[in-house]
Amino acid sequence: MLPYIARRLLQMVPILLAVAALIFLLFSVIPGTFASSMGDDGRTVVDAQVMERMNQELGLNDPLPIRFGKYVAQLATFDLGTSFRSRQPVSQVIADRLWPSFQLAMAAMLFAMVIGVPLGFAAAIKPGSLFDSVAIMLAVSGLSLPKFWLGLLLMYLFALKLGWFPSFGYGDGSLRYLVLPAVALGVSPLALLARTSRAAVLEVLHADFIRTARAKGAGNIRVMRWHVARNAFVIILTTLGLQFGSILGQAVVVEKLFSWPGLGSLLVDSVTLRDIPVVQGCILTIVLLFLVINIIVDVLCAAIDPRIKYS
Amino acid sequence: MLKTLALTTALALTTALTAQAQTQTPRSGGTIRFTAPYGSAFASLDIHTANRAQDEIWAKAIHRSLYNWDSFANKPVPELAKEVIASKDGMTYTFKLRDDAYFHNGRKMTADDIIWSFTRIMDGSKGYPGARYVRLIKGAVEVEKGQAKEISGLKKIDDFTLEMTLTEKTDPGFSFYLSTTAIYPAKEAQQPDYFSKPIGLGPYKFTEHVPGSRMVVDKWEKFYKPGKPYADKVVISLMGEASARDVAFRNKEIDVSILGPTQYVAYQADPNLSKGLLEVAEVYTRVMGMNPTFKPFADKRVRQAINYAIDADLIIKRLVRDKAYRASGWLPLSSPSFDKDKKPYPYDPEKAKKLLVEAGYPDGFEFEWTATSNESWGIPIVEAIIPMLAKVGVKVKIKPVEGTVLSEVVRKGEYQAYIWSNTSGPDPLASMKCFHSATPQSACNYTLYKNPEVDKLIDEAGATDDAAKRVELLKQANNIVQDDAPMWFFNYNKAVMAYQPWLKGLQPNATELAIQYYEDIWVDASSPAAK
Amino acid sequence: MKFRSNLWIGGALIAVVVAGGALAPWLAHTDPVMDANLMNAEMPPGSEFWFGTDAQGRDIYSRVLYGARVSLTVGIVSQLINTFIGVCLGMSAAYWGGWWDDLVSGLTNLMLAIPSLIFALAIMAILTPGLTSLLIALGLTNWSFTCRLSRAATLSIKEQGYVEAARSLGYTDTRIMFRQVLPNIAGPIIVIGTLGIGGAVLAEASLSFLGLGIRPPFPSWGSMLSDARDQITTAPWISIFPGLAIFMTVLGLNLLGDGLRDVLDPHSQTRKA
Repeated sequence: MLPYIARRLLQMVPILLAVAALIFLLFSVIPGTFASSMGDDGRTVVDAQVMERMNQELGLNDPLPIRFGKYVAQLATFDLGTSFRSRQPVSQVIADRLWPSFQLAMAAMLFAMVIGVPLGFAAAIKPGSLFDSVAIMLAVSGLSLPKFWLGLLLMYLFALKLGWFPSFGYGDGSLRYLVLPAVALGVSPLALLARTSRAAVLEVLHADFIRTARAKGAGNIRVMRWHVARNAFVIILTTLGLQFGSILGQAVVVEKLFSWPGLGSLLVDSVTLRDIPVVQGCILTIVLLFLVINIIVDVLCAAIDPRIKYS
Repeated sequence: MLKTLALTTALALTTALTAQAQTQTPRSGGTIRFTAPYGSAFASLDIHTANRAQDEIWAKAIHRSLYNWDSFANKPVPELAKEVIASKDGMTYTFKLRDDAYFHNGRKMTADDIIWSFTRIMDGSKGYPGARYVRLIKGAVEVEKGQAKEISGLKKIDDFTLEMTLTEKTDPGFSFYLSTTAIYPAKEAQQPDYFSKPIGLGPYKFTEHVPGSRMVVDKWEKFYKPGKPYADKVVISLMGEASARDVAFRNKEIDVSILGPTQYVAYQADPNLSKGLLEVAEVYTRVMGMNPTFKPFADKRVRQAINYAIDADLIIKRLVRDKAYRASGWLPLSSPSFDKDKKPYPYDPEKAKKLLVEAGYPDGFEFEWTATSNESWGIPIVEAIIPMLAKVGVKVKIKPVEGTVLSEVVRKGEYQAYIWSNTSGPDPLASMKCFHSATPQSACNYTLYKNPEVDKLIDEAGATDDAAKRVELLKQANNIVQDDAPMWFFNYNKAVMAYQPWLKGLQPNATELAIQYYEDIWVDASSPAAK
Repeated sequence: MKFRSNLWIGGALIAVVVAGGALAPWLAHTDPVMDANLMNAEMPPGSEFWFGTDAQGRDIYSRVLYGARVSLTVGIVSQLINTFIGVCLGMSAAYWGGWWDDLVSGLTNLMLAIPSLIFALAIMAILTPGLTSLLIALGLTNWSFTCRLSRAATLSIKEQGYVEAARSLGYTDTRIMFRQVLPNIAGPIIVIGTLGIGGAVLAEASLSFLGLGIRPPFPSWGSMLSDARDQITTAPWISIFPGLAIFMTVLGLNLLGDGLRDVLDPHSQTRKA
């Protein structure tokens, strides 16, 4: 197992490097600069000389190959550079946002699992039944709503009308603040999980070893509980791992709406105001998170299902 | 009619607020739950590097500059000086500084801190936006160019007396009231951890910053104004989404909210919410700039035709929901040089057509209009204009851009037409200079305006000692610019802040309503955060 | 054969949307762009304006119909680009193998690792908002699943005799791939494509919310919904109708996709997809 993990970790390196190069090149041709973003609210006239100096100070006047060289050299020492806006190391800027981001993503996944998986299981018991159709239809409905609209509807209903949760922000970091954004973010993975777990259960129920177990006289409930659950969980975990990427992506919208201080809102701000080092750092961090989570998922799968072997 | 009405309303509001402040005894304690409504997270805890309104919102709690903006008198007033004496020629100012201003570590401010802060801003290897203002001091440019270490025009007479020599005759107040020229503690600001825990001279001291979420500041006990600040704590939440802010405000989670046109209407219609609306004619002018290098717009008649062809009053009434005042030129309502007798261009499509024919465009023409998605000065406005211009044969193609890109292409002149909201005050002289032919496009002469007559009037206004004459000269210049129509003058912003009934002491800040001096604000016992 | 409710409901929803978009010039009451009339601003739904009017006084019913054209174009075209890229890369990688296979696998892993919305966000910021940019942004960022699937399916088909037989007949590689291999893997690819159209319609809405979608005056549902978000309490109809249109379309596509999966791909292996 350990060599396998080591190999997987090593495989991340070329991907991260490719991502770094790709986003560097993409953002080197973006129109507008950080200096020009300083005047975007039309409030003050930003002096042309100052803007020029700012570009100089930030190294934006260097030719592209030199900038790229510097960037690679920085990355080689695990340095993500300095934020144009805050003048702090990018690693610090990102570290400040990592925990809220992680909290939100985990809460969304948890919500999706706690509701989605049982829903899928229940639907699979009697495939084709009314309950099955309604359950899946409901789950898919959640998936079909634009995230910011859903978020707004949740805000109106649960914060304004019912007053159950605060409508925005991170507050003191307590759970109450987490609920609404997590639900808004968790609805799509919930639908996919419900669908996947339903399909997984159906597939496993028809597999040979279940028939064997039944033939051996194991009762329905026992069959559901042990064999089905274990096998289905492998599939569910894998789905969840892949869904983690889209959760990190959708978080951009949800964090922006709920003023949640995570990586997503940081990324949007930094793109809008052309704080390129932070954009690069954010995307690299998101990719890294996604890759690591998927390694963990694969390892967990192997632990749950002894038939999965990694060499 | 509309204008006089607006002016009266603004005046009435001002009086009402003053009256309110006088009749009630401010209560100490509690928390002010403020909001920063302009999208992004705070840029940096080094306010010298950040010039957007969003950052000024927290800076006014922690930092102080040489001057403050007095929202009631609508002019800059000395803040860190007890007395300012101008020399006869108006070029040298002597500041008798406060001897009771303490930084948040308990150290007393002296003239050295001011000199150090201004010198820092002129560092030629860095791009501090405040350099634009400090350049007013003699010798500052030399420091910027690296030819001198010290600003020769700043002289310390003693610890609490500072002499400042200027390069041109102007009121330094307009240059030194923004936080981009805030005064830092000279020694402490050079410590490595200063910008993670900044200290300043403001009424509140830094406590916590959760990047992307909020900033918390606590009362500074040794603030120099007796009895102030009133509240124990200010929490400033970042809330860029207007719809989310609306819910939070109605839910009483925040004490203030800046309103857009749609919410303005809704709040006015609500019997409770309508009681807590603060309206101000801000010094922002919304315009469509026309590029004279694009052939049709080189002709004054075409530009005037555009002004005649758009029914601005209708747009303001129906789309902007009266959250704006009709513009009759560049200088805004609150400007001393605003000419209340000057009429805006009337809506007259017939006249527009005639002008277009005269200019040689009987069949109209097509142009590309660069715009952002801003609801008050962006694509939604352009969309309403498209059919109006189509009526006189002018076709519009929208070129959508982000704010950052707009600010760049306008400055470089890479547009045919743009729509933007620009500051047009508070200093009328500085604002009118945007139409002086010596001002480069990259500064603020975005439409490459050039009229010798206007140049002469602006130069005279800068040279005169007579304040009344200056106002009059600028008024004339402003009127000529309106006739020349380098822009379609759309409106002056009416900023609207909604506040909860327990919040008192808000100031009608015409330079930017979201920027408040927190030491004057207090919360009464009915606030959920009164304790 | 049992009644496949999801297939039928999904198909019906999509048929309505497609018909609405296709017949927009005949069904719509007004021109969606030029008929901005501020005198009619924010009229609630009624006999004259079935879905009410927006802040600029435009008929929402007409805009929703025309919006179907833009939103469906975005969904279908971007998904066609994705499918084309995914299928070509996947099939050729499996067919030719070697360094090409390694390169394609590397690319696929790269695309898979960057969340597609974030990738699209970056591309939109660079290309500046607009329809073409959006087609590029959404068309280039979501092909990794199709690619993986085509590769896996092609590999398994390659082992079977008839590709070998075709080759011995002297058919070119391209001909074999498109004539022999493609029809055999079409089912699952159509399913992924159908679901992907829904994803693209939603992504368009998200990008509009972030200020990077298609910009008006072209009405797209995403931009209509996003522009109306401040009016959600005061004039809810402005957002409800485009919101419902998106909901109907994406729901329809998802149900249709599920239904098609049951028909076209009965032995679907969730593990691979």
